[in-house]
Amino acid sequence: MVTPDGTRSPLPRSLGRALVLLAISALTLGAVQLALVLPTAGGAWWVHLLFILVFWVYVAAGLLAWWRRPSNRMGSLIVVGGLALFAGSLGNTGVPVLAAVGTVTATLVLAVAFHLLHAFPSGRLRSRASRVTVAAGYVVALVLQAPLYLFDPGAPVPLAVADRPDLLMLGVAVQRVGGIAVAAATTVLLARRLVRSDAAHRQVLGPVFGYGIAAVILIPASATLFEAVLGLPVVARAGLQALLLGGVPIAFALGVLRGGFARTGELEELGTWLGASGGARPALAAALRRALGDDSLDVVFWMPDTRTWADSDGVPVQLPPPGGERAGVEVEVGGRTVGAIVYDASLIADAELVRTAGRVIAIAMERERLTAELLASQDALRTSRARLVAAADRERRRIAQNLHDGLQVQLVLLALEAQQVANASTSTPVQDRATSLRKGIDDAAADLRRLVHDVMPSTLIEQGLSAATEDLVDRIPVPTRLHLGITDGALPQAIESTAYFVVAEGLANALKHSGAAAFTVRIERRGDRLLVEVHDDGVGGASFSPGRGLRGLADRVEVVNGRLEMQSAVGRGTRLSAELPCVL
Amino acid sequence: MRVVIGEDEALLRQGLALVLEQGGFEVVAAVPDAAQLLDAVALHRPDLVVTDIRMPPTRTDEGLVAALRIRRDHPDAAIVVLSQYVQRRYAVELLTDRPARVGYLLKQRIADVGSFCADLRRVAAGGTALDPEVVDVMVRRAQLARDALARLTPRQQEVLALMAEGRSNAWIASRLVVTEKAVVQHSSRIYEALGLPVAVDDHRRVLAVIRYLAQ
Repeated sequence: MVTPDGTRSPLPRSLGRALVLLAISALTLGAVQLALVLPTAGGAWWVHLLFILVFWVYVAAGLLAWWRRPSNRMGSLIVVGGLALFAGSLGNTGVPVLAAVGTVTATLVLAVAFHLLHAFPSGRLRSRASRVTVAAGYVVALVLQAPLYLFDPGAPVPLAVADRPDLLMLGVAVQRVGGIAVAAATTVLLARRLVRSDAAHRQVLGPVFGYGIAAVILIPASATLFEAVLGLPVVARAGLQALLLGGVPIAFALGVLRGGFARTGELEELGTWLGASGGARPALAAALRRALGDDSLDVVFWMPDTRTWADSDGVPVQLPPPGGERAGVEVEVGGRTVGAIVYDASLIADAELVRTAGRVIAIAMERERLTAELLASQDALRTSRARLVAAADRERRRIAQNLHDGLQVQLVLLALEAQQVANASTSTPVQDRATSLRKGIDDAAADLRRLVHDVMPSTLIEQGLSAATEDLVDRIPVPTRLHLGITDGALPQAIESTAYFVVAEGLANALKHSGAAAFTVRIERRGDRLLVEVHDDGVGGASFSPGRGLRGLADRVEVVNGRLEMQSAVGRGTRLSAELPCVL
Repeated sequence: MRVVIGEDEALLRQGLALVLEQGGFEVVAAVPDAAQLLDAVALHRPDLVVTDIRMPPTRTDEGLVAALRIRRDHPDAAIVVLSQYVQRRYAVELLTDRPARVGYLLKQRIADVGSFCADLRRVAAGGTALDPEVVDVMVRRAQLARDALARLTPRQQEVLALMAEGRSNAWIASRLVVTEKAVVQHSSRIYEALGLPVAVDDHRRVLAVIRYLAQ
């Protein structure tokens, strides 16, 4: 683990020291045993040396794996295997207590080898069947070993309680059967795991399992095989066993490191993905799935407000309970949980790998979570703005309606009354004043008509966009071409009124500022988009900022998910165009 | 002259009935919606129908639809359509195929009782009454679109607009304070400029002008 300033953090340093001490201890133990054994070994000295060398190989391979993959238990387990081998070889020393230990633990290394096989590659026993088989292996190696020294007075160390060759024979047979059973169960379980794993995992698992099973079967069988079939002397047999045993830690350590290297490559890929530009980036979960080779992998986010987990759609979810087929690893940024990776624990044995991947994508995950939050609030904002615009439209309609039904009718009646007064009177001054009052009321009514029309044209409500636009264009005192490419009644009301106000505002601005000799208005449906365009051949140089009307129009267009655009190069006229969705 | 009124605003309906009665019309029915209007017309066979465009239930263009139907089913009945707001599209729709016995006026025109009753009578007599506001829109539009119209003198344009409203030469003359002969001269120049067939008949003249403006 490297901290940002490049120095190593204290924990790995401490681990390193512990591992160095373990190495020194192992060297010392081996040296002491050699010192005890070699002087009396005679011609077979090299076998003793070979066993110690194998012990050192175990410790070295185990420590290497332990150091390179601190979170993986395989390293420590390999070291334990080395110690078991060492204990078993203590039988060769002349010291009675040590020889007793050696006798008791003579086959322990085989049980550890079974354990290694089942625990590979994470170092943990994940299935119940594996745990039972491994436990049985230890029972066979430690408990069923007992008759061999309890009932054999000829054993190198006097642990015997009785001279019972019959029980000794039975014990040997039972241990052999037990050993075969454990080996058979292991073979079946590992074969099943091989079948279930994907090609990439099989590449790592296959050779290790193959060698491991061959070794644990050949070593106990070698007594019969090498002696009876090949006629090798005892010493050569022991040497071959040592070589076979020595291959085991190397195979496992290589497997652990190789698997690890492959995954480091995957993490690098994850890093590359993080660097990719936002738009082209596939979803976080998809990138993790590819990098970790688990198609069922998912990413969930921590919602601090509700203190719950939620998937990318915001739906609350639960993290899988520990020990199940699926597992969850939390991802943190600065000590704060931001999310979790939920994966298939039977596919990815090493939770640390997922944790490391989590550290790689933590910031991205936080970003994705914040983006999701932002999008949600943006959505809420747009909805509320849409509601505001809809409410404003409703209000406009209501005002137009009220003026139409109320004030306009009243003005007609008032003017009528005034004219009746004029007609009924015989006095000319009264007639004149009443008539001019009627004309005044008529003028007020005309003003009101224009006002109502500006608020919300009745034509738009009553007949729709094309009639309203036509009427609008009819009243423009500059030659205006109108291109209508829409079907009446096919558009939502909000879109029709937005399109109408775009045209109205565009024409009003063109009239005020462009000095143009001709305008063009175009309303056209293209697929599911409505194009609205007001174009003039005037002076150009218009901008969004000065007109409050244009700004408000842009807001209105945005609310319906449309786009408003103005091109107004100086001397090139002005083109105000809006693109609106035809379906809300 | 027997009249049927269609107007959903009760006060306005009563005011209209009163104005028409005072103006010498016989109001045989005054109803608040299009369906009752059609029934009343079928029942009373009036000489004239005066109706609002916007009526229940949808309050959009029921009155116009009813008017077009009455014109088809009862060609003898003259129709005047009233509206709070006038537009070219409705004017053209009403005047297409038969620009006689049709009127399209702003509601506000009711107040000028004398002119309003005169307009109704003209329509009932086979003429046309088009609101000055909508005529204005049509003339301005035609001016922008066609050079011929722009070449007319302001006075000729004035005469053209009044012709489109459905006014007679005599009326135009008195309005513009000129002789009727002067109006005739203006109108023949207008025909010439616009390439319209010469028509002595007031109604055909309106037809030609309206068609020209509505192009």
